[in-house]
Amino acid sequence: MRNFFLSFWLLISSSNIFSQGVDESLIKMRQRIDSVNSFQVNLQLETDISFVNMPVKRAVMQWEKGKPVQFTSKDFILLPKKGLDFSLSSLFEYPFVTLVRGITTQQGQTIKEMNVIPADRRADFSIATLWINTSLRRVESAEISTNKDGIYFLQMHYRLPTDFFPDRVEVKFEIEKIKIPLNFMGKGTRVDKEKMKADGMKSGKIFLNMSDYIIRKIGG
Amino acid sequence: MKSLLFAECFKLFRQSKTYYAVASLLIIEGIILISAYFEGTNIINILLDNLRKTFYLKGNLLNGNLLQYLVLNTLWFHLPLIIMIVVSGMLTAEYKDKTVQTIFLQPVRKWKWILSKYIIAVGFTAFIVGLLFITSYWLCNVFFGKGDLVVYLDGLSFFSAKDASNRIQWAFLAGTISMVFFAVSSLTIAVILKDVTKTWIVCALFLIICNVLLKIDLGTDWLNQFSFFKLNDTWQYFFQYDIPYSRIWLNWLISLFYIITIASVGIIIFQKRDIG
Amino acid sequence: MISGINISKQYLGIKVLNDVSIHCQSGQICGLLGANGAGKTTLFKILLGLVTPDSGNIIVEAASKKRIGGIIEKPALYEYLSALDNLRIFASIQQLPTNRTTLEKYLLRVGLPLNRKDPVANFSMGMKQRLGIAIALLNNPSCLILDEPFTGLDPMGVVSLRSLIRQLTQEFQLAVFLSSHILEDLNQLCSRLYVLQNGKLIRQGNTQAIMLECTQQYIITAKNLRQSNMLHQWEHQLQGDTLKIHIQPTQVPDFLSALALEKIEITSCIPQPDLLLLFEGGKE
Repeated sequence: MRNFFLSFWLLISSSNIFSQGVDESLIKMRQRIDSVNSFQVNLQLETDISFVNMPVKRAVMQWEKGKPVQFTSKDFILLPKKGLDFSLSSLFEYPFVTLVRGITTQQGQTIKEMNVIPADRRADFSIATLWINTSLRRVESAEISTNKDGIYFLQMHYRLPTDFFPDRVEVKFEIEKIKIPLNFMGKGTRVDKEKMKADGMKSGKIFLNMSDYIIRKIGG
Repeated sequence: MKSLLFAECFKLFRQSKTYYAVASLLIIEGIILISAYFEGTNIINILLDNLRKTFYLKGNLLNGNLLQYLVLNTLWFHLPLIIMIVVSGMLTAEYKDKTVQTIFLQPVRKWKWILSKYIIAVGFTAFIVGLLFITSYWLCNVFFGKGDLVVYLDGLSFFSAKDASNRIQWAFLAGTISMVFFAVSSLTIAVILKDVTKTWIVCALFLIICNVLLKIDLGTDWLNQFSFFKLNDTWQYFFQYDIPYSRIWLNWLISLFYIITIASVGIIIFQKRDIG
Repeated sequence: MISGINISKQYLGIKVLNDVSIHCQSGQICGLLGANGAGKTTLFKILLGLVTPDSGNIIVEAASKKRIGGIIEKPALYEYLSALDNLRIFASIQQLPTNRTTLEKYLLRVGLPLNRKDPVANFSMGMKQRLGIAIALLNNPSCLILDEPFTGLDPMGVVSLRSLIRQLTQEFQLAVFLSSHILEDLNQLCSRLYVLQNGKLIRQGNTQAIMLECTQQYIITAKNLRQSNMLHQWEHQLQGDTLKIHIQPTQVPDFLSALALEKIEITSCIPQPDLLLLFEGGKE
């Protein structure tokens, strides 16, 4: 009997935790996302990876609710697997809970730091940390720990206070330094074994500059 | 001088061996292209393996520019060998057939005649490299299309299609200067040895030694920078992300110095020697 | 006119030419006789400027830019080119006209056909010699040097080439030097003869005079030689219609007259110079 009541109490407690659910700021932010049916934007991609040299690339990004993001480009482009969906809709695909870590003020704006924890094993991340501007109802930055693709960090920049979509996103990620078989090495490549051993994971950045948004809202 | 140049050109392009050489080079180029195409996918996979973990790669890297780059990589041993055979043959055949005697039974200055051979050797070399550039450009782009080029040189570098095309053109030009060096060397070796077979052997040896020494660290910066065999991969500088133009111009200037010196040695030796 | 004065040349300590002086006038054909290795080719190469002598001078009186033309050993031609193209090459390097009409004139000059477009590799030796002479005569040299021009030719070819050399010498008033180790060729063509042995000139002078000096034997062919009664007076060998007789040149006219009186029908009388005597050395 005792065990029964203990289990019952634990069940009620845990359901209370889940019934805490999602922070209101996040809900308001998501309402803004949900009002957008689709958008198209011109992208300029700049890479900042120590062992990759790439000129600025241009592409057109098309996002539609419920569909994978599409890219078109004449050039060859590197697209970060994570971080392109700055609506962060992938975080909310499966049930999740939020946990507020703190509230700060930056430049007169209230920024709420919260963890998003997936409640479903199918989610492809283990934990995400969002910094949400509660006044403007938008994400300022996010750190997402994926299950397979490492940790990446997004920093959003917005042109106007009223903008919901950023005009610039910095995506910072970890990447393993490239290892090339010797017979593919070209001129001047000296094999430094110590250096190669010391090189492990490197951080890299991609800068996405957005312009000429074409946004289609629901009902509009 | 013009008449001597005309005569050398006329003789060169009336000999069947010249066409055999050109055909051989085109066949080699074709084989390299075909193998590059099949190897190309493998190469790209190896180069981009790490990046695939973090990125989606959108676009076709197995394109004409990559194939032309792979052709460039492999051309610089086969091409000088054949050029050296043809160019040295311009003189050794004349010794063998003794037409060199008949030439100097006419009122012709020795230094002018041998200089005309050097000039035509340079022109022929430039023609051959130009032909290979045009054919590889046409074949690669017609069959495989244009696109970005990925190169591994102390890091992965991606070049846009137009940029890659320009770099490849400049690389062929840089390679032409290297080939001219080998052509001129082979003619000087022919002046010294006169015999056809001996000249071929020494030319091949010279080429092999240059290729081996190219990859060896000679210990000092001075030797590594100014030795003539170290200049033969100047073309690769065009595939560094930031092209070191000053270094390239310096290399070309030094190469020119070597070319002129080697040619001068050949001319002086030829001038001093009796024909009979 | 061409003169080589006191020419000496040494290779690796071996003196191949030792103080040799030769001379040939315009319109004259001079012969250079010597065994293999006597120094004939070296001397000609020096005259042609292909080899520098250790000492001595070459004097050529000539008005044209090309003073001497010649062929050394065998004509060296571009075998993959036609006769016309060979002439074109050698004419162009001397800035001579290379139009078809002019080149065909050169071919006709030496009796070569105009309709042969195939490479010279297909030519006979005689045709190659003619083409070599045509090339040697480009730019109108005043002297012509031919090193063993009859080598490899059949009898018809030899006769034909002799005739051509004679004709060109007279037509263009050339000073011609030709070498051979066959006496008959030199005897027929040359008015002056130089004999070279081991790099030294051992005889020089009028060809006929030298030949007569060294001749002590004749070969006479006649139909009915056996009928002669006077043969027993001479040292002789008779084989069929051919008589080899030891006789001095001065005695030959009388001997032939005597045979004629005996109604012996003589078909030829050929002197046989004694090579040993010829190369023993002599006087000028």
